[in-house]
This record gives sequence, structure tokens and C-alpha cells, in this order.
Amino acid sequence: MAGHESRPVLQFAPFQSSVDEGFWHRLSSLKLNKLGIDDSPIPITGFYAPSAHPQVSNYLTLLAESLPTEPCEQSSVATVIRGNRNRCSAPGILYNTNTLEGFHAIDKQSLLKAEAKKVWESIHSGEAEEDSAILSRFLLISFADLKKWSFHYCFAFPALVLDPPATLLDLRPASQYFSIQEAESVSAACNDWRNSSSTADVPFFLLSISSNSHATVRHLKDWEACQHGEQKLLFGFYDPCHLPNNPGWPLRNLLAFICSRWKLEKVHFFCYRENRGFADLGFSLVGEALMSVPQVERLMKGWEDPQHIPSAVGWELNRGKKVPRCISLAKSMDPTRLAISAADLNLKLMRWRALPSLDLNVLSSTKCLLLGAGTLGCQVARMLMAWGVRKITLVDSGKVSMSNPLRQSLYTLDDCLNGGDFKASAAVKSLKRIFPAVEAEAVVMAIPMPGHPVPSHEEKGVLEDCRRLNDLIESHDAVFLLTDTRESRWLPTVLCSNTNKIVITAALGFDSFLVMRHGAGPGPINAVHDSEAKAVDSLRAAMGKSSLMDRDGGKRLGCYFCSDVVAPVDSTSNRTLDQQCTVTRPGLAPIASALAVELLVGILHHPQRICAKAEFSNSTDIGRTEQPLGILPHQVRGSLAQFSQMTLVGHSSDSCTACCCTAINQPTYLEDLTGLTELMKSASSFEVDWDDDINNDADFLEI
Amino acid sequence: MVSDQATVDVSSWNGTLSLSDFRESASAFAEKWKEFNSAVPQWSWVVCPPRPWIAARDVDGYLSLKNAFLPRYKEEDNIGGCQIGEEEPSCSDVNERTDNAILVRSYGHEVHFYDFHVVYNSSYRVPVLYFRAYCSDGQPLTLSDIKEELPASSMKMLKECKWTFITEEEHPYLNRPWYTLHPCGTSEWMKLLFANDALVAKDGVVAEQYLVSWFSVVGQVVGLKTPLEMLHSCTRL
Repeated sequence: MAGHESRPVLQFAPFQSSVDEGFWHRLSSLKLNKLGIDDSPIPITGFYAPSAHPQVSNYLTLLAESLPTEPCEQSSVATVIRGNRNRCSAPGILYNTNTLEGFHAIDKQSLLKAEAKKVWESIHSGEAEEDSAILSRFLLISFADLKKWSFHYCFAFPALVLDPPATLLDLRPASQYFSIQEAESVSAACNDWRNSSSTADVPFFLLSISSNSHATVRHLKDWEACQHGEQKLLFGFYDPCHLPNNPGWPLRNLLAFICSRWKLEKVHFFCYRENRGFADLGFSLVGEALMSVPQVERLMKGWEDPQHIPSAVGWELNRGKKVPRCISLAKSMDPTRLAISAADLNLKLMRWRALPSLDLNVLSSTKCLLLGAGTLGCQVARMLMAWGVRKITLVDSGKVSMSNPLRQSLYTLDDCLNGGDFKASAAVKSLKRIFPAVEAEAVVMAIPMPGHPVPSHEEKGVLEDCRRLNDLIESHDAVFLLTDTRESRWLPTVLCSNTNKIVITAALGFDSFLVMRHGAGPGPINAVHDSEAKAVDSLRAAMGKSSLMDRDGGKRLGCYFCSDVVAPVDSTSNRTLDQQCTVTRPGLAPIASALAVELLVGILHHPQRICAKAEFSNSTDIGRTEQPLGILPHQVRGSLAQFSQMTLVGHSSDSCTACCCTAINQPTYLEDLTGLTELMKSASSFEVDWDDDINNDADFLEI
Repeated sequence: MVSDQATVDVSSWNGTLSLSDFRESASAFAEKWKEFNSAVPQWSWVVCPPRPWIAARDVDGYLSLKNAFLPRYKEEDNIGGCQIGEEEPSCSDVNERTDNAILVRSYGHEVHFYDFHVVYNSSYRVPVLYFRAYCSDGQPLTLSDIKEELPASSMKMLKECKWTFITEEEHPYLNRPWYTLHPCGTSEWMKLLFANDALVAKDGVVAEQYLVSWFSVVGQVVGLKTPLEMLHSCTRL
């Protein structure tokens, strides 16, 4: 033993692994679609190539193709193609556990031994001589956390340990070892070997150089044939390592193979490395290794006794530590995250050229309250999401009935079964299915309505609902009135007008619709959006709360209830549109909903927001229309019968039941605002006997 | 679209490319790249399994350059979410500890690898650059990681030019998210690029040089420079 100490031990640079995303993607789908709970080992294929860069080693790489294909996609996916010079295949085995605990509990040492045994047996049987790639056999253990898209794994490249270790007699660049003639011939022979599709991916070979400097590359199995004549014989291998003083890992098992198969003590090895696709002898190495006699003898003993297996090493370290690696692919696999980045794309593209001033942050942070989750509510919610609005609350007390899904675009038959889900919750579920990142909330609640007698035992509940509605309005930025009755819009209108929230109303007739934004309430504007709004505030104060006046001295824009009173008298607008809500031409609701949302986007992008003046199509006030989103009308009325649409303005009425000064600014009135008594009182002012039975659709039709 | 006659008057050209011209241009580009950039990885044509809506005679595929690497300038240990936990006592093995035939390597510098694909977009009729980056163990880098690595000139381009819009989109063949430069401005600036070229003005647009010119622009965004000689050699065609 003492003799060996003077000579350095031959040290091998460990193999390094690299796993392509595609491998984990396919493993995940394999696990989900085919394997299920089955955790039996899976044969896989790794790929490597000779190092081709003086600073970087080549990795043993796993790709999607490393895994067996799923039966259903066999036709479309090519199997591993042999003969690719940059993808020499190495056989491997994958143990994918079902749990993280299982992963950590794996007896790594015995698994490594089992794989080393396979290498040893293939050497013993001569199989390795035929198919040398077996010498680079590897092992992968993993746990695929498919819920978090993270993968824990550990590689092993089992190497048979020579004891005592081989020592190094000589190691130098191949260009120094060979004569010039030899080097030329070696390069040519190697290039031929690498360029022939039958040998390009055969990673171990014999390099024989005859006395006339002619080099030949042969298969390992031709060793016997190379024993005649005066020639240099080197054992070559594709060296994934780039280091100038160390051969790569595959040489370890090659030496064990040579030592036990041919009982050689002194061996010349050739670390084949490349540059630009050609043999680079300045980069390649030639070395001479010495394996001690006792070692050979021991191996020979082992040879006779196949039960004896040399000990093995080879677990890959993680930055120098024996710790499993973990890779997270949530960014590229989590459908929610993918949906978010994809959803933003269209909007960002709009900003790019058509609408550079589009404020995506304002849209995504605006909290929208949708009162009513029917035909209009469904459609408005979808349009809001399309514009990048992410915070949506839906309020509805109804359940999804069989007649709903055809027109109410968020529901399907499933939502109608077993008595039907609540519309609000079914709509939220559906919104999340469309876009998982939406922050949608469902509130199952009836909107307190004037004119609907409240039995005394329900009084408390209705009062509670009033309070809840007020809280909801307080906590949102924009409110959509999308219910199918006129009276259900009253209380929200009053509350919004008091808090100066953005309100948008959409109402449908049989073939005509009204979409409008409510003007600011008579009170001071509390929610200050910008300095200009502040100016409005102070101006308003200076004017002594002249409730009908706007900052420009113009009239305040009306709400749904004012405009009804002051609307121009014509045959269309004379009708109370909402009365016929559920009997409408099917195209009407999507048109009105889309306009309602576009109106909101307009308001959010207008410097004066809720106080913005009404603008008209073909407006002569051209300076104002220069907003990138175009004009901001107060009301849009449309008729499908005429295929026409017009923009109108209706100013606030001082006798409006919902937004007039007295209704809002008188302290006693406000105090009673959520009170049932007041509700009941005001209810009496409605002459019509409203019917809230939505199943009696036909009764609503006004002829 | 560049016609089959290989050249077309630049004034009437709309800056796009047909699928067959794309393939022709791609192979010319790969050849030129090999000639002038032999030191860096080479482009290769990846053949994709035929898809039902594409005529059988058309070989479907894309150009691919794999494993280009940029040595990192920053020293940072935990980039890209590679987590290192406590060493497991259970897996310690006497053999491995004492086996002095294992070279103990230093893990000082982490190399990042880049893959580039040039894919034909049949809606815009232009080539599109898809790319991704990952640590040596395969952990993908995020866009902000990538942006930190790109040379300062790229960052300047990203800021100043409107067409250099990096988004994450599904790779049309791999069905996995890759980063891409959106193609909607490509035909316009290609038209500008060719209109300013005196030789093109004289001889017409040559399909072969489309990709070389195109890449001379988009390559800069991701830190891949096109040698000037490559451009010159092409215009001399």
C-alpha cells in the first residue's frame, strides 16, 4: 500500500444532472392520467454528450422524451431516436413516490446498491460489452407535488468502487500525448465515429493506433481483435467533464469493467471532448491509470463469485451537500398563474397602441357591486372581467331555475338541479371557473323594496338587509343596478346618492333598453379621487349646497328615478322599461350589459369621474371628446326594433324620490334611511301594485 | 409576403413572409450562423409531428438554439428558487464520505442556460422569437431574473422600443409557457428595415435574408448579437 501513496489517486468529476421542464410536465401528466397511485419504478432515458465547452461540463439531461409515452399520444410523439450525437442515451430508472414522507423514507443506499448490482451483472454477463451505455446507468428518486407544482428529486450515478482506488500515472491533453500524425488520424477517426449515425451515440470505444500512426475507433467488443500487432490501445469515452485535470464520471465504471473483464493493471484512457462539433485534442485528455494487483485479484475473486458486489457510490450532491433538490414549476404549470398572465396580455396590448392611457390598475382595483345576477348581472360580470376588473360582488336572492341558463350566461343546467343553487353563489363559482384569479363574492340577499308589505315578524330581517346593503355599498366603488324591478333599484339609488358612489343602471324593455350613469348626489363628495374632485367639493360648499348645480354651474345629472320623470315624452321612453325585463329580445341584455360596463370604464378614465358632464354623440363640444375612450354620455337608449341608439341627458329633478336634496340632506331623513318605517312610508307613494313574483313573467308585459 | 420568385419590389411588400419562404430563410440563416458564429451553439431545425390542418407536404417545425449560456455576473446563491434544506443525516454514507476518488467540486458559479426558438406565426406571417432561461438544474428563471442578466443595451431597447414587448405565452409546439416578443409590430419594422436598404431597393426583397435581418434586431433584445459580416454577406447574395 505504501507504494501507492506517492502517486495521486485518480479522481473523477461527478456527473451533474439537469432536468428539463418538459420532463416534469410529462411526469405530471403521466402520474395524473396513467399511473395514479402506482409507484412502481419506471424505466427512463437520460441524455448526455461529450463536453463541448472549456468552461462548462455537459449534464446528464432528462427531457420529456426521457419518459415512456402515454398510450393515448403514442401516434403523435416520436420515440427516442438513436444516433443523435448530442443525445447519447443512458438507461435509468425512476422511483416516484406518492408522498413526500415516502420520498424521504427511501432507503437510498440499498437502491443505489441494487442499481450498482445491475451494472456489475451486465459487466459479468458481457452485456456491457455489447451495449456500453449500460455502464452509465443512473437512478432518480422523486416526489411530484402536483398540487404545488414542485418536484423533489435526487439523482444517483452508481459507480463501482475500486479498493484500493486506481492511481494516476499520467494525465495530459491528448494533443501532447499523441504525435502530430497520430493526432490528425485520431481526430479524423473520432469525427467519423461521431458522424456516423450507427456509432454517434456509442459513448465507450477503443482507440487503437498502429505503428504507422494510423488511428482506428472500434467497439469495446473488438478488444480481442486489437490484441495482435504492435499498437497503442486506449480506452475512450465521451467525457462530459470539462476540467483539465480530471476525467468525468463514466470512466469509473469503464475502469471497473476493464479491470474485471480483461484483468488489466495499467490502462490508457482517452477522455474525448469536442469543440464546435469536432474532436478537440487540446481539450481532450489522455491518461494512464494503475489498478493495483490486489484489487485485480479481488475483482477476479468477485468475478468467480457473482454474489460479491463491489460497494458503490454516486448520489449526486446539491451544491456540495447531501440534500435532495427541489424545483418549483408553479410559474409555468399553475393554471391560475398562467391565466393571470394571459388575461393581462390583451389589455396590455390595448395600452400599447390603441389606448396608451388605459389604467389597468384602476380597473383591477375598482370594487364592483352587482345588484342582480340575472341576464344583465351575468353579462355585466363577464364584461367586467374582460376589462380587467378583478373585484366583483354579486347580490341576488333568487335561485337558478331551468329557464335561466339559456339567457343568463353564467349558468348551466347543473346549477338548476336539486332545486337550483343560489344565483349569486352559482355565478361566483362560474366566474372563478372562467378566471380563477377573480375576487368574486356572493351575497344571497333580497334587496329591500318599497311597496312590498313586510310582515312584522320579518321586520328585523329586512332592517338587517338594509344595513347590509348600506355596508356593501360603502365598501364598493361602483354599483350596477341590474335587478328586474324598478322598485328594487330605489333603496340602492338613495344609498349611493348619499355616498356618491358610481352607479350604473341598465334596464330592458321588450326591444329597447336604457343604460345610464347616475349623477353625483346632492351632498358633498366624500370620496376624493383627485385634486379636481376636491375643487368640486369646495365649490359645492361655497355654493351653499345648491343641490341641483354642478361645478360648472350646470345641473347635476339625474339618477334613474329623476330621468324617469323628466324624460322626453315619446312612445319608447314613456314605457317603464324594466317592467318587461324578462320578456325581451335575447340580444338586448348583452348589448345593454356591454354598454353599462363600457360606461363604467369611461367614468373611471374621466378626470371628473362621477361629476363628468354629459356628452353626446356628434357633440359640438369637440374639446371634450378628446378623451381616448371617446365621449362619456349620461344615458344611452337603444331600440332593437329600430336598430338605433341615442345618447341623452336627464338632469336631476328636485322632486326625485331617490336623489333630491331633501331626500339626502335632511338629517332626519337620513337617520330614518335604513329604517323600515321610512321605507314603508315612501312605499305608499308608489301607486302601482308591484308584483315581485319572477315566475309570473307574462304578467309583467305591459301592452 | 415574399413571393415564390424570391424577390419582390420593396415598395409593394408588406413585411411578411410565407411559410415556405420561412423555411427557406431559416435554413439560410442557420447556415450563415454556422459560418460566422461557430463558437456559440448552432441553430437546428426541429421537425414537429404533422398537424391535421397542415398540408402533408409541408414539413412543420421551427428553428432551435439550445443551451446558450451566459456566465453570471452577480454572485447570488439562492436564485431561481433552488432551495437547500438541512442535510439529511439518514442518507449519509460512510463510503461516500471516505471515497477519495470523488472529485469535490466547488459550486461557486451558477451558469444560466438559454434556449431560443424561432417559430413561424401564420396569423402575422412573420417569424416569432420564443425563449426561456433556466439554472443548470432546470429551474426556470423568471422574467425579472432574465432582465437582470440581459446586457444594459437590451434593457434600453426594451424601454425605448414599443415593439419589444416581452410576454409569456404558450409555446405553439411545446404547449408550455415561454417568453416571446410579440409579433404584431414585426412586419412593419421589417418593412422599414428593408426599405432603408439600398440593395434591397435595387434588387427586391430576398426571402433568404429575411431571417438574418430580423434576427439582427430581435437577437439584440435577448443579448445575442448578429455579427456584422453576417449581414453584409447576406446582402451580397
